[in-house]
Amino acid sequence: MIISFLPIWIVDMIGSILMIVFSFLCLSLVRRLRNRDQGNVIWTYLFWVCLGLAAFAISRSAGHILKQILVLSGHEAVWSSIRPFSGAINSLMFVFVASVTLFFERIWKIYRQISKDKQALETVSDELRFLNQNLENLVAERTQELASSEHKYRRIFEVSRDMILVTQPDGTIINLNPAGCKLLGYKEPAPSVSSSDNSFADFFVKASDWRRIRKTIEQQSFISNAEVSLKDTDGKQIRVLVSGSLDKGFSDRDATIHFLVKDIEQRRIIEEQIAQADKLASIGQLSAGIAHEINNPLGIILGYTQLLIRNEKSNSEKFDDLKTIEKHVRNCKSIVEDLLNFARSSKPNEDVIRLEEAMEDVLHFIQQHAGLDNISVEKNYESAVPEMRLDEKKIKQVFMNLIMNAKHAIGKGGNLAISTGYSPDEGNVVVKISDSGHGIEKKNLARIFDPFFTTKPTGEGTGLGLSVSYGIIKNHGGDILVESEIGKGTTFIIVLPLVSPHSRPKHAKINSYN
Amino acid sequence: MSFYRYRQKTWLIGAMLLIAEPAFATQAHSAPEGLYAHQLAHIFFIISMGVLIYWLRARQLVQSSGWRYIQYAALFFILWNLDAFTVHLLEEQLAVIDIHRINLWQINITANNHSNALLWLYYFAKFDHLLCVPALLFLYFGLRRLLKKTETSTSGLVSS
Repeated sequence: MIISFLPIWIVDMIGSILMIVFSFLCLSLVRRLRNRDQGNVIWTYLFWVCLGLAAFAISRSAGHILKQILVLSGHEAVWSSIRPFSGAINSLMFVFVASVTLFFERIWKIYRQISKDKQALETVSDELRFLNQNLENLVAERTQELASSEHKYRRIFEVSRDMILVTQPDGTIINLNPAGCKLLGYKEPAPSVSSSDNSFADFFVKASDWRRIRKTIEQQSFISNAEVSLKDTDGKQIRVLVSGSLDKGFSDRDATIHFLVKDIEQRRIIEEQIAQADKLASIGQLSAGIAHEINNPLGIILGYTQLLIRNEKSNSEKFDDLKTIEKHVRNCKSIVEDLLNFARSSKPNEDVIRLEEAMEDVLHFIQQHAGLDNISVEKNYESAVPEMRLDEKKIKQVFMNLIMNAKHAIGKGGNLAISTGYSPDEGNVVVKISDSGHGIEKKNLARIFDPFFTTKPTGEGTGLGLSVSYGIIKNHGGDILVESEIGKGTTFIIVLPLVSPHSRPKHAKINSYN
Repeated sequence: MSFYRYRQKTWLIGAMLLIAEPAFATQAHSAPEGLYAHQLAHIFFIISMGVLIYWLRARQLVQSSGWRYIQYAALFFILWNLDAFTVHLLEEQLAVIDIHRINLWQINITANNHSNALLWLYYFAKFDHLLCVPALLFLYFGLRRLLKKTETSTSGLVSS
């Protein structure tokens, strides 16, 4: 097939020139790219690829152009001698470009890693620059925040009404807040770790309680609301709720236990008082029921006995027997009356009296009939106590019972202190009757207001005096409390709500006293 | 101990060198070897460009127009290599095509098997610059795009 060579020649010549031109344009672009970011390995990679292509373009295109020129000018023999070199260089350039190209994946991975590291470095660098520039401000700010935070938690520690305690795992006290100092009877400042002889374990009434708490914390890392009894430095027992948690710290040596100890002694006393009041109320209801049932038959017995006495001669044996029956029936009625008083079943009369006058009457009566010669009576009446609307007879009966009890407790000689107080804010009047007698044993304190409870020998007391007094005071909307210490004496505190003579009686708030 | 072992080996190698007959260790390269090396270089180029296309796509770099153009460049280089390989194969390796220059601007092409299709295939394959020039053109466009990207952002390698 005979065909024109011209198209091939034109394409070959122009193509060769264009290859050189474009390959060098590419090289120029990639150089600009590399100059913009010399650390970028991708640009370096492309630079080498383009360099290889440019070399290839030169070797190939120059060869082609030279060939065409030599062939057209009739110097084919010269071309034949050059041709092997041109072909060999072309082959080498292929291999070079292809070899460089094959490294793309590896170069790309390196580029990604470098980019990542560079970004991380830039981030760190920015942070460092920022820190350098703002270090002082940041330190000041953080110090302020830290001081504020420290102050806040310090205040919580210091002003807490509950005891906050930090100990070592063995119980050695590290830090104790003021409430804890007060509870345990320490005089501030609180014991510090330097005084390692202070151990929380020593304040437990029962050592087993401490062992139990410690074991629980070791097992669970915390304990919640364990009710135990502690004793303060004076030996006084306090019932508390102990919560604690283990802070393991950075190492075992730094481990501490943080305790929160809540004093529930007052709450328990109030609960006991409420329980006591409930018990007395129940007994009162029972007594009232029985008294009502007995009172009527006793009235009939007494009535018929008196009728029979009227028909008998006064010196006869039957008369004496009937008199004995009458006397005992009256005793029974008296007891029933007392029971009814205790049960508050009868409505008190409303007399306008002054408490100190009622007290003076009672003291005078006792002085006359029982004698107070060997007892020093100290009276302290507050003049501000106003007139009150009370059942005079019953209030006097209360005073009588309490003073007679005090006289009995004092025995051969001692002091009796009587005082009145008025609290306009609380709206009540307080009467205190204190004796320097032998005191009441703790085990009996909870029972002294129980009907028929007495420590006196059989026949000397019915055990109704305090229970009747309790009933009368409660019937007036008041409260009666007792404080006693063995060997030092007893104080009865009567709290009566202030009822103005000009107003209707009402129940006032009843306060609780130790 | 090791000294004696190495001394023994040294003696052994020395003896072999002295006793050995003369050998023509350097192999002679006749004319076809250059052609085969050239053809293998074309194949290596094809593989290399294929690998480049694979990684450009695997790394999703072709989402960026710059790298997409570079991918096209690699594709045209593959086509050009195939073209050149075919011309070398027909004309020199298999020698199924015979060319004679009749005058300055005319050539006579004959095929051993008298196949016109083979003649035309050879004739058009001779226009290989129609493949390699576009390849470089695409490479140029690709690099230009990458350069533009780097001018507008900190990194123009991936973003499209």
